[in-house]
Parts: sequence; structure tokens; C-alpha cells
Amino acid sequence: MKLNVKINGKKFDLEVNPNAMLIDVLRDAGFKSVKSGCNEGSCGACAVMIDGRPKNSCIVLAGQVQNSEILTAEGLGNPETPHILQKSFVDHGATQCGYCNPGSLISAKALLDRNPKPTEADVKDALDGNLCRCTGYVKRIEAVLDSAKIIQKGTKGNK
Amino acid sequence: MLKKLTQFYYPKTVEEACLQLANAKEKTSVLAGGTSEALRNDSTIEALVDISKIKELSYVKSDSSSIAIGAATPVQDIYKSDLSGVSGELLKTAAGKIGSTLLRNAITAGGNLVALFPWSDLPAAYMVLDAEVVCRKGKPKRTVPVINLINSKPAAFLDKGEIVAEIKVPVFKKGTGASFAKMSKTSNDYSLITVASRITIADGKIKEARLAINAITAQPVRCEEAEKLLTSKKPSAELIAEAAKKAVAGLKIRKDYRATEEYRKEVCEVMIRRSLEESIAKAGK
Repeated sequence: MKLNVKINGKKFDLEVNPNAMLIDVLRDAGFKSVKSGCNEGSCGACAVMIDGRPKNSCIVLAGQVQNSEILTAEGLGNPETPHILQKSFVDHGATQCGYCNPGSLISAKALLDRNPKPTEADVKDALDGNLCRCTGYVKRIEAVLDSAKIIQKGTKGNK
Repeated sequence: MLKKLTQFYYPKTVEEACLQLANAKEKTSVLAGGTSEALRNDSTIEALVDISKIKELSYVKSDSSSIAIGAATPVQDIYKSDLSGVSGELLKTAAGKIGSTLLRNAITAGGNLVALFPWSDLPAAYMVLDAEVVCRKGKPKRTVPVINLINSKPAAFLDKGEIVAEIKVPVFKKGTGASFAKMSKTSNDYSLITVASRITIADGKIKEARLAINAITAQPVRCEEAEKLLTSKKPSAELIAEAAKKAVAGLKIRKDYRATEEYRKEVCEVMIRRSLEESIAKAGK
């Protein structure tokens, strides 16, 4: 079937199997930040934003995102011009092995989009679906809280 | 994997969705959040009607007498809603205990009820709140108690071309308290025991008692004998203990590799006791 989606602001016209999962479609289209962890919606490594809501792309059928807008970690920033969150993850050592980062960043971005002044509890709540096997749970909370502060101050960053 | 799936339908209205379901020649199923559908190994489904984009099915509304939730509303919207009161707080608590933010953004208020897994969190809350379900078959609709839908299995209860459109929950006035609790290995894991209760007290006596459990059983059940035992009595520690004992006595416990039946039965009794204590304490306030 034909799938029309916007990924990171760019229009795509993809030919996909009707029973394909979104995670596979995104990775095949080159968005390798989307990681496969548990493949059953438990770990959050595959999280992407679909029409503003972060979801596990491993349990989303590709057909469900017809005409939707998707944001992956690639859409946040790149090594030259990282998003404030990405830079903050690095600065706080919240990166660990890195596998959970793309999903965690998407969840964090979704939180800050809705709630620019999150409390620690808000951050924990928003990242509750992103498991980190390195158990780097504290530093990423610090990183998100710090990002929120930087955005609040209006310090020059990207986006 | 849905091996035979070839077709997606994207209705814009409820009527359109019902028509597509009613007229389908291929084996067609309803798709809302998709979390259960995506993991289902059903090689018979050929088409899916995606109702998640129907705007008239996504809302959380409330007035002085009831709360109405559109069937395709992501449960995250219930969790983050400004619902208040006994019913509102209970719905928010139950919705917040579902999986993680990522799952709550996909799972819907109606899907959690219609897919009806043992570990579904909302049905027990719906049951103790005496919720009603609005089922629509195009324009025509019928409003039925949620317990009817659950007891006869949602898939069998709904006609061809009929979908759950809304969950309606009454608002309770002063003198009512409710509680929702879930036990699982981690907060994201499937529930091992779900307990919900509601108690209405008038003139120092329990006027109405509701107790529902899930996860430990194969489907959500009301503990009617325990409810009867509580009704018209003065709340006391002994009465609560007796009701909890009665509730777990005849229970048909579902097997789960996560914990033994004996363990879960024992914990379930404690959870019921605490749940009733909490509901009674809140009702007295």
C-alpha cells in the first residue's frame, strides 16, 4: 500500500506492506535512530512522535500513520547543531551506551513541548516508558530539567 | 503478525466507520490505538477500520451529573485531564496506572474495554463506577451498563457494524469514596492483581458497595457476594475483613508465570481489604 507521511518535516511517499510495523518502515527509510529493543511496546527504544504524541513505533502498524507527521531523533538536531536536549544529554553524561537515547529524547521533547516548566516528578512521569539498561536514570532527569531551564532563559540554542 | 492484512479504512465519522464494518466483505476488525492489534497473531484479519482519527470519538467531557469519554480518547488524556470528584479521580488514577506514557498515548478508553485483556486496567474502574457504554451502529445507538458488555464478552455483544462510541460515568455526591489499586512486577508491567471499589455511606451505614477485580481472574468480575455482605451494615474492620475473605473465596484464578496462585490469592485479599478501607475512609470525609 501507499503511505504518505511527513517525517521530520519532509514529505515521503512510501510503498509498504500493509502489515508492516512503523519501526521497520522508518529504519528502511533511513531513520536509524529508531532502535529496536523489545519489539512489544515495553522498552521505548523505538519511540517516535506521531502527530505530537510519543509512541512506541514497534507496535504501531504503518497504516496507522497515513497522512501523519512523524518526528524521530534525526529531526531534533545533528552532531554539528544539536538540539538543546541532545547537548544537555551529552553535558550531563546521560548518554550511557546510547541505545535508549533517541527514544528518551523524543519523550523528553514531547514533555517540554507540552510543559516548558516540568518538575522532577513530571520528567520521571514522561520518561517512564523509556528503559535504560545502563540504569542511567538520574542523569537524564537532570539533563531534561537543565534543558528546560536553558529554554526558559532563552539562551541561544537550536530550535 | 497480521499476515493477511491488505486494507486500511480511514473513516472520518462514526457513521462512515459503522458502514465500512457492516459492508465489509473481507474479515474486518476495528483499530483504535492498535497496541493489541499490532501484537496479535491473527492470520484471518484482512482489513482494519482505523477509528483513531475520528474527531467525534476523542473527548473527555463532564457536567454536574456525568463524565463522558469518547471511545477513541487516548488514556493519557484521561490521566492528564482536569476531571475531579470521586469518579474523575478514580478514572485518572486507573488511566495513570496503564503501562507508560508511550503506551498511554496509544491505548484508548474504549479499546482498553473492548479488547478486554485480563490485565486491562480501566474495566474494573468502569464497573465500580456503574459506567454505561454508548454503542453506535451508524446513527442508531443503545446505552448499556458496562457490566453487560463485559459479561457477554464485548466482541460477542456488539453487532456487525456496531462500535463502542462513548463511556459514560455517573458523578457521585458527598458520602461516596472510591479506590483503585494494581499490583505488578514493575509499574510498566502487566497487572497481576487489579482491585477497584466504591462505597457510598448514608446515616452511618453502607448504602451501596461496589467491588471489582481483574488480572487475577481471566476477565474483570464484580464480587457481588462481598458487596451484598457490606450493604446496609455499619462499616467496621471485622466487616471489611469478612468481605475480603468472601471475595477471594470462590475465585477462579488465572495462571500467570509471574507469581503463584497461592501468593496472588493472599495478596488479593489484603488489597481488597485496603481498597475497602480507603473507599470507606474517603466516603466518610
